[in-house]
Amino acid sequence: MEDQILALTAELAAVKSAAQVTNTMFAEAYYYLTIPLMVLIHAGFLLYEMGQTRVANVLSSGIKNLLAFAFTIVTFYLFGWWFYWALPTFPVTSLAAGAGYMEISGLAYASSIALPWGDSAQYMGPNMGDHASGVFWGAFALFAATTASIASGALIERIQTVGWVICAIVLGSFAWVVAAAWGWHADGWLVTEFGFHDFGAAGLVHAVAGFFALGILLNLGPRVGKFNADGSANKIAGHNIPLTITGLMLIIVGFFGFLMACIILPGEGWSWYADQGTTIYGTPMTLSALAFNVALAASGGIIGAWVFTKDPFWMMSGCLAGIISVASGLDVYFGSHVIIISLVAGMILKPCADWLEGLGIDDAVGAVTVHGTIGLFGLVVLGVFGSGIPGLGAAAPEGTVAISLFGQIVGAVVMFLLGFVPGYVVSWLVNKAGMLRIPDAVQIKGLDAVKVPAQAYPESMVSAESDSK
Amino acid sequence: MGYFAESFAELYNADGWIDMGMYIGAGSSMPGWYTVIASVMLVAILVKGNNDEQDHYK
Repeated sequence: MEDQILALTAELAAVKSAAQVTNTMFAEAYYYLTIPLMVLIHAGFLLYEMGQTRVANVLSSGIKNLLAFAFTIVTFYLFGWWFYWALPTFPVTSLAAGAGYMEISGLAYASSIALPWGDSAQYMGPNMGDHASGVFWGAFALFAATTASIASGALIERIQTVGWVICAIVLGSFAWVVAAAWGWHADGWLVTEFGFHDFGAAGLVHAVAGFFALGILLNLGPRVGKFNADGSANKIAGHNIPLTITGLMLIIVGFFGFLMACIILPGEGWSWYADQGTTIYGTPMTLSALAFNVALAASGGIIGAWVFTKDPFWMMSGCLAGIISVASGLDVYFGSHVIIISLVAGMILKPCADWLEGLGIDDAVGAVTVHGTIGLFGLVVLGVFGSGIPGLGAAAPEGTVAISLFGQIVGAVVMFLLGFVPGYVVSWLVNKAGMLRIPDAVQIKGLDAVKVPAQAYPESMVSAESDSK
Repeated sequence: MGYFAESFAELYNADGWIDMGMYIGAGSSMPGWYTVIASVMLVAILVKGNNDEQDHYK
């Protein structure tokens, strides 16, 4: 009898061990697969941005977008990942004593896992026993690159390449990272002090990137020919709207991966629970919730934008806006509620973009409105409907602040400032160095002819603007 | 080459599969030097890229 019990105990241990291996490999594969899905966001932004560009500047726009992607990922490896783990409690407590109650933040913690040198290098490269660091880093690196791609489109046809790359590095490897540390980390002070909730990064990715773009736009100025002497605006059509619209649809595909990566899987050392998935805050979340709400939000946004515009560009922008408008609360909204919010987001999109243009700001793809304005809209809407919901999971200490309208408004203000101020300051400095705006004469001649040793289309394919030269 | 293991046989023994870097230079100062060199290369590339770009605009 005793021998049988011992044998069964050994078998049980072996089964549990095998189940843990399966769980670990599943979790690793899950986050790994979000990475190529998020690369589709960049394929989409590339098509979107190039389609919105005139023929004479197409390849320059592509180069700008690709370099932002590449430099953001590289610099996120070198220092961006470290900021995410170092800053959650700063400035509420000092950096030296920065570890929050979850004990996964602060200078010492960040320096032990997120620097590509010294002892922490073992978690920044191939490691026999670490199935998590690389895939989490990869997902965050793609979030970082997404912020740069969001801002990139607003600036087409007149920003210098290297000047833009410097701005993209500040955005992707610092500004949004600070926002994520404060509002997308269980130790983040916006979460613990204000109950800030932003499951799908409407504020800390979209709003930060959108208002970072606005800060740059103020220093960069409009494209040559965008505004008339009396201040009225001219429409500068892109050369390939089908490319733009297809790109936008690819971004939506990528968003499913982006949002999938926002779920914390169960059963691992870094999980909130042994048997249930959660948000990054440890609150309940499932992939099924995403399936309902993301699909409905995308559809609501398209329909809302169609009502007033009848324009496929704005309908697909509405699709993005629909998802962004509910991203903060994808874990708590009911499907029909999502339809209502995303319809409204789609409807207000174009008037908001027109208002911005009326201020003399040339946002070539509507990025400030789609990502910035709608991102803040989504944060505040969650405060209206979600007040009182617990802000953190069961592992949090008693008395943890719940979601509130006040907390969401505080978060919205912080996200605006974390985007706009760094965007304005870094572009001001880059401008002072003569590296921001492409000279007007070059804009008129066409950027590709001046600085790209290749051409986008055969000579037989000409455009209105190339005809005029 | 500064690789972390002379043989993989021991890794497959009980407790052989441990939490440690498994790349060239693991446990030494080499990762830090690679990081320094990569950073210098990136800065130099940006400087050269900007110089080339400004030449185009002249």
